[in-house]
Amino acid sequence: MTPLHTIAVGYDGSPDAEVAVRWAMEMAVATQSNVAVVHAAGLLEHLNTRFSRDETPRVVLSLAGECGLDVERLFWYVNDGDACSVLLRAGEAPVAADLIVVGSRGQGQHPGLLLGSTSLEMVQHSNVPVVVVPMPRPFE
Amino acid sequence: MATLIMNELYDDSGHKEPGHPERPDRVTAALAGVHDLHLGDDLAIVPLRAATRVELVRVHEGSYLDELGAFCYSGGGDIDPDTYATYDSWVIALHAAGAGLAVIEEMQRRKEGVGFIAARPPGHHALKDRAMGFCLLNNIALAAATLVGQGERVLIVDWDVHHGNGTQGIFWDNPNVLYVSTHQWPLFPGSGTASEVGGWHAIGATVNIPLPPGATGDVVRRGIEEIATPVIEAFAPTWVLVSAGFDAHRDDPMANLELTSGDYAHLARTVARFAPAPGRLAMFLEGGYQLDALRSSVQAVLGSVLGGDGGNEPPSTGGPGGEHVSRAQLERSAALSLMHNASEGEVES
Repeated sequence: MTPLHTIAVGYDGSPDAEVAVRWAMEMAVATQSNVAVVHAAGLLEHLNTRFSRDETPRVVLSLAGECGLDVERLFWYVNDGDACSVLLRAGEAPVAADLIVVGSRGQGQHPGLLLGSTSLEMVQHSNVPVVVVPMPRPFE
Repeated sequence: MATLIMNELYDDSGHKEPGHPERPDRVTAALAGVHDLHLGDDLAIVPLRAATRVELVRVHEGSYLDELGAFCYSGGGDIDPDTYATYDSWVIALHAAGAGLAVIEEMQRRKEGVGFIAARPPGHHALKDRAMGFCLLNNIALAAATLVGQGERVLIVDWDVHHGNGTQGIFWDNPNVLYVSTHQWPLFPGSGTASEVGGWHAIGATVNIPLPPGATGDVVRRGIEEIATPVIEAFAPTWVLVSAGFDAHRDDPMANLELTSGDYAHLARTVARFAPAPGRLAMFLEGGYQLDALRSSVQAVLGSVLGGDGGNEPPSTGGPGGEHVSRAQLERSAALSLMHNASEGEVES
């Protein structure tokens, strides 16, 4: 198997995304690879900027610390578009990820809704392997 | 004075979300722009109709239509961080899509006039299988696909400040639709580089003119003249449809271009010249979120193509972007060369 070089992971500030970012970082530590945390800036973000394009969010830096990921291996990208398109483009330069990680449900998406499901779209259309990380659920 | 042929307005008040910029007031503002023209008998209102499933599957996957309808009837909600739907959205979207068809049918009957479709939600971001960017159904794509089905060659000019990725994607490999877009880049949805020129069966039938923040009308005009016009003239459209977004206006909060209503009037006159005969130019409302700018721009655009005034703001000049137009031309030429060489190599082998 070809060694991993860069793992891209989608981040929208949701709890599901944090779980995905943590999984990607733990995998990166285990495989000595880089992590590109990618945020998709949608239409409404022109009115209300959620994340700086230049500064990695503190939550992401904090997760890196908890996972033992060297910040030299951590990259932060904010790209324009919907989450699916932006993450699909993460398989190409400049991110050029060889693995893409997403949470099972992004911000603003309804549980069980297929319409607009980024994880489903990614699995269907990505040219690189995709990992969908489920949100841990409490015991029922 | 030509006749303006416009759709009867549908009650779209049920498609709204608190604080969302894509709201019913937008159509009210556009309608005010029409009324400012005092057209009298030169305004014809076409009765409402909803697009049918048979029509919609020309541009959308049936499974997507089923899912969207079911989602709305289950109460709706947020489809993604930008795009919402309510219980009423499905029927409202069907009427927005049907409005374009109804206007075009009337224009075909009259063989004259200019069409204006004042309906929402907008459509040019809607993909064949996905809603996005405030858009549920791709209204202009449905109209274009219907015309192509009748043997027409359709030019779509998209001057919304955002690239119409949905429309481009739907006609990516269709040589009977020429898609031309001017838009701010980088900006949502992230697509729309000059090197995107169409699929293998439609090489060159996509023309993207990306512009930097701050670009003024003179740069947009230069891009249309230098890059798009030769392609349009070679394509020889039999119909011209416009994705008329007004969010490139300098007062619009959704982007950073610096156009005025006078620029829109100039653009409209330029685009109207590509229509080969009367009754073959229709404009679809897309974006535009600052209501005064939307109203004055609609008035300017329709006034100019109907033979009247061209807006009360002068065209803008002096912004950046001239070098971007030159670079776009080079990138487009390079992409076309690569594709032509590759396709010739495929034939030879």
